[in-house]
Amino acid sequence: MLYREAGQFKTTYAADQQIFPIRQDRIAVIALLAVAFVGVPLFASEYWFSAILIPFLIFALAALGLNVLTGYAGQLSLGSAAFMAVGAYAAYNFQLRIEGIPIMLSFILAGLTAAGVGVLFGLPSLRIKGFYLAVATLAAQFFIVWCLTKFPWLSNNSSSGVISTQKLIVFGYELDRPVEKYLLVLSIVVLMAFAAKNMVRSSTGRAWMAVRDMDVAASVIGIRLMPTKLLAFAVSSFYCGVAGAMYAFCYLGSVEPDGFSLDMSFKILFMIIIGGVGSIMGSFLGAAFILLLPIFLDIALPYCADLFGLPFSSATVSHIQILVFGGLIMFFLIVEPHGLARLWQIAKEKLRLWPFPH
Amino acid sequence: MSKKIGEVILDLQNISLRFGGVKALTDISFDVRRHEIRAIIGPNGAGKSSMLNVINGVYHPQEGKIFWHGNERKRMEPHMAARQNIARTFQNIALFKGMSVLDNIMTGRVTRMKANFIEHALWFGRARQEELAHRQKVEEVIDFLEIQHIRKTPVGRLPYGLQKRVELGRALAAEPSMLLLDEPMAGMNVEEKQDMCRFILDVNDQFGTTIVLIEHDMGVVMDISDRVVVLDYGKKIGDGVPDEVKNNEDVIRAYLGAGH
Amino acid sequence: MNFFLEVLIGGLLSGVMYALVALGFVMIYKASGVFNFAQGAMVYLAALSVVGCLEKGAPLWLAIILAFVIMTLFGIATEKFVLRKLVNQPPIALFMATIGLAFFIEGLAPMIFGSEPRALELGIVDEPIPWILDNWNMVISKFDLVAAGVAAVLVATLALFFQYTRVGRALRAVADDHQAALSIGIPLQHIWAIVWGVAGFVALVAGMMWGARNGVQFALTFTALKALPVLILGGFTSVPGAIVGGLIIGASEKLAEIYIPPVMQDLFGGNFGGIEGWFPYVLALLFLLVRPEGLFGERHIDRV
Repeated sequence: MLYREAGQFKTTYAADQQIFPIRQDRIAVIALLAVAFVGVPLFASEYWFSAILIPFLIFALAALGLNVLTGYAGQLSLGSAAFMAVGAYAAYNFQLRIEGIPIMLSFILAGLTAAGVGVLFGLPSLRIKGFYLAVATLAAQFFIVWCLTKFPWLSNNSSSGVISTQKLIVFGYELDRPVEKYLLVLSIVVLMAFAAKNMVRSSTGRAWMAVRDMDVAASVIGIRLMPTKLLAFAVSSFYCGVAGAMYAFCYLGSVEPDGFSLDMSFKILFMIIIGGVGSIMGSFLGAAFILLLPIFLDIALPYCADLFGLPFSSATVSHIQILVFGGLIMFFLIVEPHGLARLWQIAKEKLRLWPFPH
Repeated sequence: MSKKIGEVILDLQNISLRFGGVKALTDISFDVRRHEIRAIIGPNGAGKSSMLNVINGVYHPQEGKIFWHGNERKRMEPHMAARQNIARTFQNIALFKGMSVLDNIMTGRVTRMKANFIEHALWFGRARQEELAHRQKVEEVIDFLEIQHIRKTPVGRLPYGLQKRVELGRALAAEPSMLLLDEPMAGMNVEEKQDMCRFILDVNDQFGTTIVLIEHDMGVVMDISDRVVVLDYGKKIGDGVPDEVKNNEDVIRAYLGAGH
Repeated sequence: MNFFLEVLIGGLLSGVMYALVALGFVMIYKASGVFNFAQGAMVYLAALSVVGCLEKGAPLWLAIILAFVIMTLFGIATEKFVLRKLVNQPPIALFMATIGLAFFIEGLAPMIFGSEPRALELGIVDEPIPWILDNWNMVISKFDLVAAGVAAVLVATLALFFQYTRVGRALRAVADDHQAALSIGIPLQHIWAIVWGVAGFVALVAGMMWGARNGVQFALTFTALKALPVLILGGFTSVPGAIVGGLIIGASEKLAEIYIPPVMQDLFGGNFGGIEGWFPYVLALLFLLVRPEGLFGERHIDRV
């Protein structure tokens, strides 16, 4: 009864083209942002910030980046983690090598660096498609991580490429408490999420989706395939790069190239499959799901084991985690290829009619 | 109805196209005049779709010359054809399945939108004005084709006839000077065909769009087109006004088989 | 020169090992158009099944038969419960589903058979062949040579199977055109089940060879990552392509590993080992830019 659009008439195209055309949605989003910016900092514990909320936001941003490329532009990539690595190491080097550079500027430059590398590895997409391209992005995954390990200059000559990030100083104020880092990450992620939404609802996003759905038709109506695909690679890598920089600076504080493994790339891919391919909100839902699931299993499995009197080692728990991930991916692809975002949409449609069935 | 057919705007001279050893088109010449409805007919496999693909740059003929508004055209890519105001529809509907009707038709205006992705990301200034201005234009197309009720529906969910109409809408949204239609009425029932005929004639009449049309329904072709080209096995066997073509012996033979 | 030859031959022989895995990909891709990322995980599962059965006290021949049964059942189950439900999805969705499948196997297999690395004893030792060592002063492993022989026998068997059996002919028909095969009465789903069975068999052979060489451990799943550039080079649909691609990748990566790092060291200083990890990919990528359909793949024209 509460969720109705009856009586909300749109008299201009501007009103119809809003991000959230239904009033209740706008209220809900504002409420959510208020909770995230004000409520959470007041009540959440340090553990929540540094172990759950910050990584959640960072991975949501990376998933968003991959979603731009895979979900909207239709180019499957298995190298997202490598582009995060580029962002992390670029931000570190900008801080290290340019005296007094503001941290925000080095994040942006890190994103741009990742975008450049992304375009480079996106070039093959002009000639190859589908899983050929997916395999090509593996080249990026392996090559980039190898470079970061082997070229000592990139990690300031540290052994095996480990870097410890510099202090986070924003406008002269040092952010060292988890809540401060959380607010910084949150602000960046929210801004970038809105920017992504704006891109995908405008001509840029329509060009991406046109290329995804049928590239020959797209070029016939005047979309130039090369710049469109490369822009998707650039934007996607920019997002991953910024996520990587925050992963290093705001989450772990110290990273090594091998941390940005193929497994991490897969995890980001799983986030968008489960959350919803081609959905901004899906990236967030998927990130939350993939990050919370292991925590949930860690707690639930030993409990179940006790209940049934099964001997459970920690190895078994990790095997079950992998198995559940794999199973869920297949399950979602079969049952709901558009992921949690689609389920959410269906729920909303039902809610609009509730309490009547039709 | 007095209709002014103008000068030659597209002139194809001695076009030959091969795929490996297979000859799709052999030495074909014909022209298209401003404001006319020009039909290409012929049995299956005659090379009709290949002809359209040559016109808008999807295929590149090995031999022959193409003149567009009197200038010889060099090798070109499909997206360049769109920029020269040539739009088209496809034999097997080539809509963007994951997008709504509105978005599909909006893509038709892509060549006219100037804002870049950064402006889009910020949703500011030119980007915002453009989206609104073009939405206005697209709504006109939607009104013209009488598909207001489905504008927010994903095209994948629409029945075949409506999808064809949406595809025409996407082409029209580009405000083309030349429109290539590849079997716009295939698989439609009589009523849908009548609607589509009406749209084609209206487009030609109201907007002055030149139309090149492939169609199998002879009744329709003879009714609406000004001139007809007939292809068979990649060769041109007839060219002229409908009555001429109807009585051309080669054409009759191609359609009815030898011995008739 | 001898050293160069030794590296080259060693590379070619290890390339044969890659080709063994790549063959499994080709089988499934040819018949059903599915790019099966889980092939590496299947290699792991196969090797684990053999070792698992051996540990339970079965003799080697029985363990191999049991493992074959497990792989076949697994293949049929995959077809029935996963792929059949995804029939009309785009290929990329199927590909992602097989990534899920790979994770599923990687979780399930060690739960059943244990995850600790174990040796698999097939009675072939991994030592230089004395005759070549004496006469040519080259180290060529006996094991690698046997593996090459096994691969040759496997390819010959598959070729005969495809050429001369009813099922094989049906498989080729399906590979050429699903619709046409269906219309002349070939039951697609049976064929797909059989293909997964055959791919399981190929995985079993690969798993035993790899397991005997490097031990049965989780790293066996990475064999898939080695096979991918092989496929790109050889084309997804070609059995000879998989072999030739394997040989090229094997030889070039070993040569690159020996000859490139010293050059880079001179240029930049530091240690540049481990090129093997990415070199095949970059090679395959460069190759793709020249010939997108692979060495033996089919070129196709977009129709509109």
